Formats: sequence, C-alpha cells, structure tokens
Amino acid sequence: MSALIAAATPTTTWYLVLAAVLFGIGTVGVLVRRNPLVMFMCIELMLNAVNLSFVALAKRLGDMVARPRCSS
Amino acid sequence: MELVVFVFAAAMILVGGLGVVLRSHPVHAALSLILTLFGVAVIFVSQEAHFLAAVQVIVYAGAIVVLFLFVIMLLGVDRTEDIKTEPFKVQRPLAIIVGLGVIGLVTAAVITSRDVVATRGAGIAEPAMTDPDSNIRQLSRSVFGDYVVAFEVTSVLLVVAVVGTVLLTRKVKPASKESQ
Repeated sequence: MSALIAAATPTTTWYLVLAAVLFGIGTVGVLVRRNPLVMFMCIELMLNAVNLSFVALAKRLGDMVARPRCSS
Repeated sequence: MELVVFVFAAAMILVGGLGVVLRSHPVHAALSLILTLFGVAVIFVSQEAHFLAAVQVIVYAGAIVVLFLFVIMLLGVDRTEDIKTEPFKVQRPLAIIVGLGVIGLVTAAVITSRDVVATRGAGIAEPAMTDPDSNIRQLSRSVFGDYVVAFEVTSVLLVVAVVGTVLLTRKVKPASKESQ
C-alpha cells in the first residue's frame, strides 16, 4: 500500500483535472449566486483555475510561456 | 511526497471553492476564497514557480481579498443571502448541468490529449533548482521582452478601468452647479 502511494506521483494531467474542477465550481458559482460581489469571487476562482493550468503546462513543457505544440 | 502535497493542496482548493459557492454570508465566502488562493500558492511552490507563489499570496490574499472585505464592510452588503430560495426554478439545476458539463468536457479533453502533454518541450535552459533566480529572470524576460506590447496594452486597460470607475461613481451635485 505504501509502495503504491509512493509510486503514484501526480502528473500534469492531475493538475489539469484539478484546474478543470475548480473552473467548474467557479462557473456554477457565477450562475447560481445573486450577490455581485460573490460573483466576482467566483470569477476569481475561474481565473485561478486557468493560472493553475498555465503553471502546470509550463512545468511540464519546460517553457515559461507554455504554448503546447507551438514552440516545438 | 509530491502526492501528499498535491492531495492536501487539492483538498484546500476544493473545500475553499465549494465554500465560496455554498456559504451564504459574503465574509465567509471571502475567507473561503483565501483558503483556495493559499492552496493554489502551495501548488505553485510544488511546481517550482516560487515567484508566482509569492505574488499569489501577496497580491491575491493580501490585496484582492482585503479589497473584497473592504467593499463588503463599506457597502454594508454583509447580510446573509437567503440561499435556500431560488428565484427561478430552472436556474439552479441548469447551472449544475452547465458546471458538470464544463468539468466533464475539459477533463475528457485533458485525458484524451494526455500524450500530447507528455511530449517534452524545448526545455528550460537553466533549471530552477540550480539557479534560484532563474524563475524571476525568465518571467521578466518574457514579460518585458517578448510580450512587452501585450504588457503595455494591459496597463492601458487598467488606466481605462480606473478612469471609468471615477466617471461612473462621480456624483454631480446640483448645489455646486448653481454656485458656479
């Protein structure tokens, strides 16, 4: 069990899925909440999800700019 | 080790995000937003984006959330929103369907393009571990070098936003008009 845990290192796909889930939560918040300030907070959630995916791709592709398939 | 960090940071992010959406009090929502932002900062550190993590904590948790709290307390909108009643019967199930659709579609896209992501790019010329300043250096090179036009256009956008805020919130006082 501990060997299994040690073997499972999070790949870029995990980070991208986490970013997708956070973006979805933000989307639901913007659509559901009625207080405009809380809607702004949900937009912040979506922005942070996109930042998360940018950083994950930048780490994986070894390129700060993180353009998939364009630089190579 | 990276797995433990990922699991804890993901738990922070998801609990905070759900808290922003589900807590009915705006102050509680702002505090949940802080939890989410710190989780994102932890993930930035584990991805070796140290400068971005510092900026995330300083700018988001230190400035933007404080701004949110200022607005909440100055405008007096800190009353509990009645989250049980919904104005339109269709809105909430529709929103949940849209959210699950976004999550499902993006996750499917990520999983199907798994091997595209797995191809390594040109590579960072100077890895972050050997040179602690390379993070900042690369960022400044791309912001002030390659993408300086986009950076300046963004600053113009910010100036436009400030001018628009001043114009929209200015109240024309009728008394001062008559005195002129």
